[in-house]
Amino acid sequence: MKARFGTSVIVALIVATLGVFLVWPMAHVFSRSFWDPQGFTLVYVAGLFTHAVHLESAFTSFIIATSVTACCVLVSLPMAWLFARRSFPGKAVWSGLLLLPMILPPFVSAVGMKIIFSRAGALSTLLMNLGLVDGPVDWLGHFPLFGIVLLETLHLFPILFLNLVASLANIDPSLEEAAMNLGASPARVFRRVTLPLAMPGLFAGMTLVFIWSFTELGTPLVFGLRRVLPVAIYDSVAEIGTNPSGYAMVTFVLVISAIGFWISKRLLSRQRSVATLGRLSQARREIPLSFRGSLLVYLLVGGVLFAAILPQLSVVLLSVSHRWFLTVLPQGFTVEFFGRALNSELTRTALVNSLSFSLCATVLDLLLGFGIAWLCVRKRIWGSDWLDALAMLPLAVPGLVIAFGYMGCFSGTFPNTLLDPRMNPMILLSVSYAIRRLPYMVRAAHAGLEQVSSTYEEAAANLGATPFRVVWRVTLPLISANLLAGAILCFSFSMLEVSDSLILAQSENFYPITKAIYVLLESLENGLNVASALGVWAMALLGAGILLAAALMGKRLGQMFRAG
Amino acid sequence: MVENRTKRDAQSGPTAIEIRNVSKRFGAVAALDEVSFAVQPGEMFFLIGPSGCGKTTLLRILAGLETPDSGTVFFNGRDVASLPAHERGAPMVFQNYALWPHLNVRDNVAFGLVERHVSKSEVSTRVEDVLKRVGLEGMGTRLPGQLSGGQQQRVVLARALVLNPSVILLDEPLSNLDAKLRVEMRQEIEKLRRDTGITFVYVTHDQTDALALADRMAVMVAGKVSAIGTPLDLYARPPNLFCADFLGEANFIEGLANEGTVQTKLGTWRVGEYSLSGSVVCLVRPENIQGVEGDGSGMNVFEADVTGVRINGATVTVSLAVAGQALKATLLTQRSLGIRSGDRRMWGIAPENVVLLHP
Repeated sequence: MKARFGTSVIVALIVATLGVFLVWPMAHVFSRSFWDPQGFTLVYVAGLFTHAVHLESAFTSFIIATSVTACCVLVSLPMAWLFARRSFPGKAVWSGLLLLPMILPPFVSAVGMKIIFSRAGALSTLLMNLGLVDGPVDWLGHFPLFGIVLLETLHLFPILFLNLVASLANIDPSLEEAAMNLGASPARVFRRVTLPLAMPGLFAGMTLVFIWSFTELGTPLVFGLRRVLPVAIYDSVAEIGTNPSGYAMVTFVLVISAIGFWISKRLLSRQRSVATLGRLSQARREIPLSFRGSLLVYLLVGGVLFAAILPQLSVVLLSVSHRWFLTVLPQGFTVEFFGRALNSELTRTALVNSLSFSLCATVLDLLLGFGIAWLCVRKRIWGSDWLDALAMLPLAVPGLVIAFGYMGCFSGTFPNTLLDPRMNPMILLSVSYAIRRLPYMVRAAHAGLEQVSSTYEEAAANLGATPFRVVWRVTLPLISANLLAGAILCFSFSMLEVSDSLILAQSENFYPITKAIYVLLESLENGLNVASALGVWAMALLGAGILLAAALMGKRLGQMFRAG
Repeated sequence: MVENRTKRDAQSGPTAIEIRNVSKRFGAVAALDEVSFAVQPGEMFFLIGPSGCGKTTLLRILAGLETPDSGTVFFNGRDVASLPAHERGAPMVFQNYALWPHLNVRDNVAFGLVERHVSKSEVSTRVEDVLKRVGLEGMGTRLPGQLSGGQQQRVVLARALVLNPSVILLDEPLSNLDAKLRVEMRQEIEKLRRDTGITFVYVTHDQTDALALADRMAVMVAGKVSAIGTPLDLYARPPNLFCADFLGEANFIEGLANEGTVQTKLGTWRVGEYSLSGSVVCLVRPENIQGVEGDGSGMNVFEADVTGVRINGATVTVSLAVAGQALKATLLTQRSLGIRSGDRRMWGIAPENVVLLHP
């Protein structure tokens, strides 16, 4: 009885937290876009489709998201097939490196991209020096979407890649052999068997990429593109109390995300129900590539990686140079900006803020994530599927939506308290970071608990340990590596969270790193360089974190970014 | 039946399948070592052996799913070793069925026909026909996941049959079925073979399937063919110790053979055939040991202690001990009434039932 009481308390705490910080903000956004003081109305939602600026923003965002998704498929599909079906030297290292682009925030690389493609940037200068163009070309001015799509593709393709490799690897080799055996050529086997069977994974990855790029705020903001939905939402935060059209836009985003996520869930569950049909007939033997084949793979993967890292590389260069204007490479190397990035009031506060917000978020995630996984895997409580689905929801709910929702419900409901982001966004920022990364933590704990046989715990209980002591002395030590890896991921991502930070942090003494970078970009006098230096500091932190997590989780790190 | 087989063996013309000196290594392991044999048209040919003996690898080489390191494979006298899997035309029944979960029964069965560019109308009539033949009429729109194990098995069979192939390869097709379904499917395969004249190559580790269905079988061990013959020959007159041990139950008694007799711990026995001399092992099947009264009239007799009696149903297995040697005798239950553990009795073996083998 006592144990059951304890479980109920834990369930209540978890459900209450998720209810207040995940469900309520979304419900609030939803209701505010349909109800105003006069009652139910469709005016605001209709406004989305009649107001020319809103329509243009939605359309542009849609174009961006569709192009990014299509480009990601083009980049990921061949690579995923190679990684799932062929073996070549150094494959493990390459697949680790392919995670790199995902962890480097496109927000920071947008700065680098700007340097390469701007009017007085490296590409223009290079082409002028070669005599191919007469004067400077404003690439981003002429093709504003091109830069965004390129950047987001290079940032997001690993998500699709991971999902695809996983679904391709899960296909029983005998299904492909049977097709060959009945007369299908390799190309036909791919078309008729491999691709349809990998479809759920492909679609799940595409959904994540679509939602992500549809709601990406940082990149268009840095590129100065105002007429996209995320930026329009960002701009509407200022008049959140007076103009409900912001709510309507967020609802629109939420509905689009929900539909995509629902379809991909359906596809995944269908795949799972048929995957149990027969046992995996045999371990797949990957076909080794010839020397030339391996070389081609190296060129392909290396090229993609180089392209993905190039903007970051230029950020690094920018952070160590005095001047990068109308030259191909920067001039006058210096480490001055690294010092300034740590010494100015703004940046030092931002670093401290980000560190403390991220730390709080990580602790909260550890508690929530372990609790949820433990309830779902070990206790198998009633409704554990729903709890699990709720914890996975943030994968489908863009950070923009959560931040906007927090702004809307907490500043109105608890004005001038610690829960009012206008007053002090510390709690809400930490919580929003935690909620956004909760799925990763739940998944890490889930994986750990499923690997550890429950007989260890039963043995401990049998020898007299209370439920709490069992968890403390047996369960936690056994899955500590998973929890640590999850914690490191949560921490690292929180350090560079963009949309929550930009929306919720309203006054300078509460700016986290990303908001500080954004503000620095706008400022004069080497702001760009200092922003770059700050970005490099953040990337170094992030990279170290991911490497640590990879060392702890090994191959299973990839599982954390899968959709299902 | 036996006459039929002899006739077929004597047939001239190309063999359905011929395997010549096929070897295959996986790393340090020799999965197949210089394997050669031929399968006649319309034959039900079994590859049988313990797991890891190379039988499945051999089947996959026939299907073109595995490439031999050396050696050649002929279908109807034509060298097919260089043909990729999709041009072999030897449909296979996979052990785990390998039914495509995204296609319904009809599309699974139609798969090979579509690859062969058969017209749509012909595809649908042929698929309907074959589904009727395997007893799955009206199940065409079901997904594989909605079928029972036995029904899935029939779909896999239909998927191969619909192509009207001259050869079908079967990889442990009955191993996922329960005992009752196995018997049923065994009968259906037997019927198929009679009705179609298709050549079957059937891989199994289960000797019951092999003894019941095979025209001929190859017993494999450690990548080599240990023996080839009809089930009856291999059971009654196995050419070597491994084959004798692998098929059925066996008693082995060491002895010294000389001019039609063999000296054993149980006495000096007369034997039917005596091609061997010197140190030998005598194979005696348990059902060939019987209780005798008096002198046993021409049998090799010995006295042994009964150490155990186990009833199997129609038969009884009696454990015997004599001169430090343990033996098993299988008797009809009716004939074993009155035999108790601890009895000391006389037993006999007819000379023609003692098979001499190289040790």
